[in-house]
Order: sequence, then structure tokens, then C-alpha cells
Amino acid sequence: MREKIGVYVCHCGGNISDTIDVERVRETVEKYEGVSLAKTMLLACADSSQKEIVTDIGENHLDAIVVASCSPKLHLNPFRATAERANLNPFNYVQVNIREQGSWAHSDTPKEATEKAIRLVEAGIARVRHSRPLIPVEISAVNTAAIIGAGVSGLRAAIELADMGTEVFLIERDHFVGGRVAQWGALAPTDQDGGAIVADLFSEAKRRPNLTLLTGADLESVSGCVGSYQLSVRIRPRYVKPGIPGDALAQAIQRCPVEVKNEFDFGMALRKAIYLPYAAAVPSTPAIDMASCTRCGACVEVCKEHIDLDQPDETMTIDAGAILLNTGFDPYEPAEGEYGYGQHDRVITLQELKRLMEKSGEKLTCAGRSIEHIAFIYCVGSRQKQGDNHHCSRYCCTAAIHSALQLKQKFADIHTFHFYRDIRTYGKQERLYEASGRQGDIYLKFSEDDPPRVETDGDDLRVHVHDLLTDGEEITVEPDLVVLVTGMVPSRQESLTQILKVPVGRDRFFNEIHPKLRPVETVIDGVFISGSCQGPKNAAEAVHSALSAASKAHAKISKGKIELDPLLATVDAAACEWCGKCLDICTYDAIQQVDTDGKQVALIIQAKCKGCGACAPVCPQDAIDIIGYSNPEIDAMIDALAEEVV
Amino acid sequence: MNRNDADVLVIGAGIAGQEASLNLANMGFRVLLVERDASIGGKMIQLSKVFPTLDCSACIATPKMSETARHPNINIHTLSEVRSVVRSGKHFDVTIRRHPRYVDETLCTGCQECEFKCPVEVEDQYNYGMIGRKAIYIPFNTAIPRVALIDIDQCILCGACERVCPADAIDFTQEPEDITMRVGAVILATGFSLFQAGKKKEYGYGKFRNVIHAMEMDRLLSPTRAYNTVLRPLDGKVPENIAYVLCTGSRDISMDNPICSQVCCMYSIKQAQLLMGALPLADITLYYIDIRAFGKGFEEFYQQSKDMGVQFVKGKIAKIEERENGDLGLFYEDIEHMGESKEAQHDLVVLSVGILPGTDLRSVFEDLRLELDPSGYIGQPDELVHPGRTSVAGVFVAGTASGPMDIPDSILSAGAASAEAASYLRSLE
Repeated sequence: MREKIGVYVCHCGGNISDTIDVERVRETVEKYEGVSLAKTMLLACADSSQKEIVTDIGENHLDAIVVASCSPKLHLNPFRATAERANLNPFNYVQVNIREQGSWAHSDTPKEATEKAIRLVEAGIARVRHSRPLIPVEISAVNTAAIIGAGVSGLRAAIELADMGTEVFLIERDHFVGGRVAQWGALAPTDQDGGAIVADLFSEAKRRPNLTLLTGADLESVSGCVGSYQLSVRIRPRYVKPGIPGDALAQAIQRCPVEVKNEFDFGMALRKAIYLPYAAAVPSTPAIDMASCTRCGACVEVCKEHIDLDQPDETMTIDAGAILLNTGFDPYEPAEGEYGYGQHDRVITLQELKRLMEKSGEKLTCAGRSIEHIAFIYCVGSRQKQGDNHHCSRYCCTAAIHSALQLKQKFADIHTFHFYRDIRTYGKQERLYEASGRQGDIYLKFSEDDPPRVETDGDDLRVHVHDLLTDGEEITVEPDLVVLVTGMVPSRQESLTQILKVPVGRDRFFNEIHPKLRPVETVIDGVFISGSCQGPKNAAEAVHSALSAASKAHAKISKGKIELDPLLATVDAAACEWCGKCLDICTYDAIQQVDTDGKQVALIIQAKCKGCGACAPVCPQDAIDIIGYSNPEIDAMIDALAEEVV
Repeated sequence: MNRNDADVLVIGAGIAGQEASLNLANMGFRVLLVERDASIGGKMIQLSKVFPTLDCSACIATPKMSETARHPNINIHTLSEVRSVVRSGKHFDVTIRRHPRYVDETLCTGCQECEFKCPVEVEDQYNYGMIGRKAIYIPFNTAIPRVALIDIDQCILCGACERVCPADAIDFTQEPEDITMRVGAVILATGFSLFQAGKKKEYGYGKFRNVIHAMEMDRLLSPTRAYNTVLRPLDGKVPENIAYVLCTGSRDISMDNPICSQVCCMYSIKQAQLLMGALPLADITLYYIDIRAFGKGFEEFYQQSKDMGVQFVKGKIAKIEERENGDLGLFYEDIEHMGESKEAQHDLVVLSVGILPGTDLRSVFEDLRLELDPSGYIGQPDELVHPGRTSVAGVFVAGTASGPMDIPDSILSAGAASAEAASYLRSLE
């Protein structure tokens, strides 16, 4: 039992004390059994307050402390470190949350909020009285990272980690790297070619001996935990071997009788079953798409040495200390008939326009018509009032405007009309908007409740809008081409989400722990998220976040060992009768059946146990306790909570 | 090896500088963090709450500051400026000037006895002059280091502080001190400067007392706020009808700042939401050109403010006039209604001021040729692939030193700079 407890009640500036009478809380809990001193503090997390706590512990020989402040999710570790600096075991510290569960939740009822705070603090004191000094669990970490997704952000993270000295496995589902950036053509704001950037990054990656690229690779399963994840990866063959001579390849492609839509061009062009998605694709060895190949053997006849239709799947296991997800986004796919999409072949998406621009010669043409007037309709699939996508997709305003500038540069006689809600060319991107205005592009603003209407008249297109910039007057434009400025939705990765259990937010993108404190970390220790799988980003922003994740992952696994909380399950071997119920309920594979002196009992694998507590209540012998949340501790807390507040 | 030598010098201890320092320190590099102000913390520590989560800013920033200060691999110099960075072989030779505090940092306990005794009262710049401070002062409650300094330009040398100091820490004989050291890499995290609201003459800031700027409003709304409520400056009246003028000093060629400041829409919406809590009866109107709610959760935050009753009017304010009772008339073109010229009355106006480049560091780098972008921010010659790099090999940039950005983006940018700096440092080994 701890008998010399220090209690600190935080004002949190005014976040707590504006609602809760912190002085009354202090006065009341000061009298509680075991409490040696109780103080209020303006901001307990401030450096000066931490110093005061350290001094108090030393001068008053405190054997435990309680800080009543914000959620332990936010500041548990800083206060544990404070205790440690005063030579007090960090686990003789309990944090009580009187902000999120107190002042913020009950800001309209200050008296009751104060009473609740008193009970919560007393329960914390009751818990800390039972606390024991503990030593963190130390596990070893392998300095290897697995990166899922080889778009620009995955490639960049991989190269940077390799340069920092971490071994990298870069795992790409597709047979070619580069993701969406490779498809994009000229990128804002520098006009650099996406394909060229990808080709450069690919050759940089190839130069790193500690970087292994796996293409056509699917993550099948993951086990283990931070420091040592075992990833099982299935690699689908290309059926074509590297080094195939150029002329043989050209002939093989020419002889292949199968023609399918090329996904890389959003189906606007065809490819063969043996293919490169675009001429400069990397890796430059083509692949055979077995889903459409008829196994006719025409290509094999041309080049027996390099084409093998019987190449088998391979499976490999990777041992990685950390996993970085860079699975990217998919462009929003308009519904059939949304602004005429799918009903008229000159209603296309912005992504399709970009491919069209890459493939057109001197004249921009679409579905046989030479294009002069283009209507861009913004926020398609973004900022939806009805529908799933409430979010703004961030990159599309700038991308559309940049495309308008490129169009004017590349093709003569192009006139663009922009139907928008708000132009979000934030920061330096504003210069592009300004340039677009200067070149004479026309902007029409619509209300979210009254979007433009696209009408078809035979082969002709008409767009009607009530333009807010001219008092809602109806304006009609007759464009040759309608471009839907489609936003980002998370890339379809259901299996991955299931395998890794990374939570997603309301917008369906992967969720970080905290947007400011831990923006690339997830609740799964050692699993990081970056690039557009975390939320819409342009290419530069995706790279920022990828490098950020590389930085965090490297710091985590490069020291060879990782400290984990010892607040884990523990088995009383004498009481255990091995029934297996705990093994069945554990979702972390953290329980093992072992033989102890001829008796079968459960053993907790500390590196895998998360201390979730699921096993404790199912044990019929009551042989499992969670350290830090043992029965005596919980009982004492319940007693304290149930007591009358005086 | 000099005891000051480090693997990396980080200039600026705002949120980006702290994040970059912590990342590198956690990888095992020794970091020297230099801050011009008397405390680390930068601009973020001054804010009330932060969008779009409405986290209390101090609650995020304070422990981060503490972690930075306590990290065994981070050595901090406050009230110090980098005078020069010169390449010497693979490394940089750096000279830092430590300005005198006139208080011995190692002796001061932060007891504030000197502050109580000091007879000189001046405006407190941490609170934008809304309240006063003494000539000897601790910059703010959670300052790191939490020790006093003397504002020597205001001090009357009466010696009251010296007599009362129980730790004998006052030292009027301190002189500026230059120290030199060798580092492997440099990270520039020098942040931004705020647009000076008075420059936009037609808005009357500095002349009409009920026209304030948004950083002042953030102080008024902060948990450590000056008056414990929101009052308008002229007469202490609780405002009932507040206007926000967006794009003050941004997207404005006449102010020589054509670009967008990236944060003002969102901080204005944040303040509007906080004001609805603090002053439930007040009407709040935002005059805007475009609402740029582009980040994760931002659009949802914007829609929420509309649901709460915040009014949004598309129109750029042309000029502001003061009425006899201190109220203000705002003249604007009502763009969504025939572009008609209109006048609106409000009793408090908040100018949503933009951000501008911070300190020009080019002279510090002398012959190394540190290049700036057309707006005066530190240039990123390969911004799509190597966003952390500058025109000088081994010198990296983090946060708003490279352009306007919000806190989440600053943190990611600092992460990128630390990764690129770490790789560079490994290549020197």
C-alpha cells in the first residue's frame, strides 16, 4: 500500500477550472486516506510544474502521485517521466481525466462536474494506493521496414529509410510502380512530368543495396508485433523475364491477339494481354495479364527464353520491425448519369483529361471531336451534402486550374469555363489561379444546393448554371467537352484493412492517432500511415508525410530494442487449470499453452500482449489479472466512486 | 571536439523546430537548437485552441516544449541568434550570438519577486499589448526556460530587482557573447512573420480601437486570456455583432502579397466557433473571397460552423469607418447580390491577417547562396521529391520558413526535413 501520495489538480489554463471548482476538489481529496499533500496547478504539464512535482516527491518522500488533468492518452508519458526524474517508479503514477470526462463533458453543470471530479480523483487515489513499482518490458527490434504501396510516397519513404540505414522491402500490388503520379503527366506547380519523377525514383531505389522491390505482390497475412512483424507476401509472376530484347518484345506484343482496355488510360486506349501500361513504365519488363491471356502461345513462339507462361506464384516471409502503409487513393468514380457521365462520351473526369492531354498531338480531340471549349465542373464527389464524401479533396482545384494553364500552353484555341463552389488554391498555388484569370479563363460560382445541369442535345453538350457572381442569373455554356473535377476516395484495400486492423475515420481514410501530435502513427504500434491513404494530399504533401513516417519509423526500430508498457496480463500458474478459454478470446495471439512441472497452464507472451483485459473475465479460475488493473485495484476504485461526496 | 559541437543545428524553436529536433534526437543525433526569443515555443504557444479538433493549443505545445527541453540529445540556446554559417570541408562552422538576459539563467528560480518589485510597466508583447508587464519579466507562464530577463531598453536601472532577488541572479554586467561550433547539417525552422495590420490603411487598424487582428482575438479567447472574457478595446463593452475580414494582407497585390496565407479561413472559423461558446448572444459574420477549408476534417469543421449559425458573406471589404459610439461601418461589394455596394454595421472587427516570410537568413549564409522563392520564403529547388532541401547542400527547411502552412502540415514538413537531414548526416559518416 502506498501511504504518501501527492495529488495535483490541474486548472488546464481554464479548460478545467472554468467549470470545475478545482480548489474544492483539492480540499476534499486532501483528506483522503494515504494523501500526504494536494495542490492545484495552473498547467501541470508545464516544465515548471513538473519541476515542482519532482521537488515535492523528494522533499516529502512521496511514494505515489496522482495528476488530475486531461486524458492519459495525451499526457501519460510526460508525467511518468516526471516521476522517474524524482526516482519514483513511473508506474506508481495514476492520471485522472477530469477534462474530457469532466469539465468539457459537463460545462453546463459546474456543481455536478466538481462532484464527479472529486469521485474520479478519489478513485485514482484508491488505485494508486495499490500500485506496484514495475519495470518496462524490453523487446528486440529488427531494423527492417516493410512499405506497402510503391507510388511516389512509398518510393520516397523507401529510399529515405534505406539511406538512413534501415533495410527496406517495398511491396507493390501492381506489376509497375509509380501509382497515380505516373498517370498524371505534368504536375502542379513545377510542370514536372509525373512519369519522369517515377522513373528517377525507381532508378534511385534500384541503386540501394538494402532496398528490395517486390511487384505483383499481395500482403497475405501479418503476425507478430512492433519490432518484429512477420509478413507473408504472395508474388504473382510477370511471366516475362527481365532482359527481353526490345525487338522480340515488340513482336510479342504485336502478335498477341487479345485486346483489352488499358486501365492506365482509364480505358480510353487498348492494350494487349502482354503489355507495358505506358512506354516508359518501370520496371521496364512487361507483364502478362493472366486474367485476359488465352494462353495461345503466340508470344512464347517469338521469345521462348524470356516468356514462360508457367511461372509459379512465390510466397515469401519478411521480418520487419515496422510497417508503413502508402496505399494511396482512387479517383472518385462518378455515378452513371452524374453530370451526364457514362451517357455522353465527351463527359470525362479530370484524370481522364490528363491522359487525353498526354496522348493528343497538336490538337486536343475527344471521341472524334476537336476540342475548343471546355467546361470544368468542380467538387464532383467531394464536399457532398448527400453521399459519403463530405470531405474536400484538397488537390483538385489546383489540379484543374493547372490543367487549364497547360491546355492553353499545349493546344491552340482552348477556352475554359470553371463551374466552382470555392476556389481552394491555398498558399503559393494562388499564383496559378491568378495566371488562369490573366489568360482569360472564365469562372462561374454555383451554390451547393443548386449545382450546374449538363444537358445533351444529340451530340452537343450544354451546361446551365445559376451563377452567383451575376446574381444567380442562368447562364448556359455550350462546351465541346465537360470535365468533372473528381476528388479522392481511399484506395480499395479491404483485405489490407482486415489484415492490419488499422482504423479508418468517418471519411474512410486511415486514421492517425492525433493530427498534430502523432500524424503518421496509428493505434497499432509500429504501423505508420502516410501519403493520400491518410487523407487527400497533392504529390508534394504526400512526400512530406512519407518522409515524416520514415523518420518516425527509423527512430522507433533502429536502436535494436523497444520498451513496452508492463501493464499486461499475468497468469497465476497455481490457479490455472488450462481450459483454453483465454486463448480463444485473445485477438493478439499472446497466449500459449505450456507445461509447468507436469501441469498444463497458460503463459502470456509479453511482446504480443496489449493488456486489453479480454482474457481476465473469461477465466473460470480467476487466474488472470491485468497488472495495473487487478481486482483489488478495481474494487478500491469502485468503492471510491460510490462514496458520498462530502 | 568542442563541447558545443553537434550533428545538427536547428534554427528556430517553434513547433516545426521542436518536432525536427525531437525526431533527430530520437534517432541518436546530437541537436543544437537555437531560438531568438527568450523562450522556446514559437507562435503556437500563443494560440487559444487549434482547428479542426479544437484541442487546447497549450495542451499540445507545452508538453512538447518540455520534452524538447529535457531530451538528453538536445542542447538549447534561447535569446540567441545565428550570426554566420560557413562551410568547412564536410561540416559547417557556426557562430552564435547569445544576447544578455541580465539574469543568470543557472541561478534564477523563476520566483517572480523581481517582477513584483520592478517599478517599470510596459506593454506585454506576448499578449499584443492588451495587458502590461514589467521591465524584468518571465515571457509567459509556461516559458522554457522559466527564468526572468531584463528588457534593457525599458529598464531604468533602479536596482530594485537586484536587491530583492533571493538567488542573487541579477547581473547587469552581462555582455553579448559569441560562441562558435561545428555542425554536420542545418535545419531552418525560422517560421513566419505576421502581416502588420496597420499597413492596410483603409481598415483603420491602430486608428479605430475596435478594429483588432486575429492573433489578438486568439489571446482574448485563450485559457490564459487577459480579461477572462471577450471585451472590445475602446470601452470594454461585450461585443454583440462581430465581423471577420478575411484575406487581410493576403491575395492582395496592393500589399505586395499575391499568395494565400493558407491558415486564415480556418483560424477565423475556429474563432467564430469559440466565440459562439464564449458569447452565446453574439452574431458573427465572415466576409470572404473563397472559404479554403481543404485539410483533413476542415470542410466538416466549416459546415459545422454554418450549422452553429456563423454567417458567411462573399465580398471583399473595401474600407472601414468608425462611428461615434465606436461601432464600425464596413463597406463591401455584395458579390452574390448583383455586386451591389453595401454597408454593414458591427461593434467589433477582427482582421484575419495573413502570414509573411520570417527573418531573411541570406546574410547568415554569406557565400553559400541560400536562395529564396519569389515570395521571399526559403526556396525548395526540388519541392516535389526533396521538399526538405534548400539551395545549399546540408541545409534543410522545416515548417512555415518555406511557405504558409498550418500546424499539421508544419509537423509533416519538419518530419520530412529531419528524415532528409538524417540521411545526409549518415552520408557524411
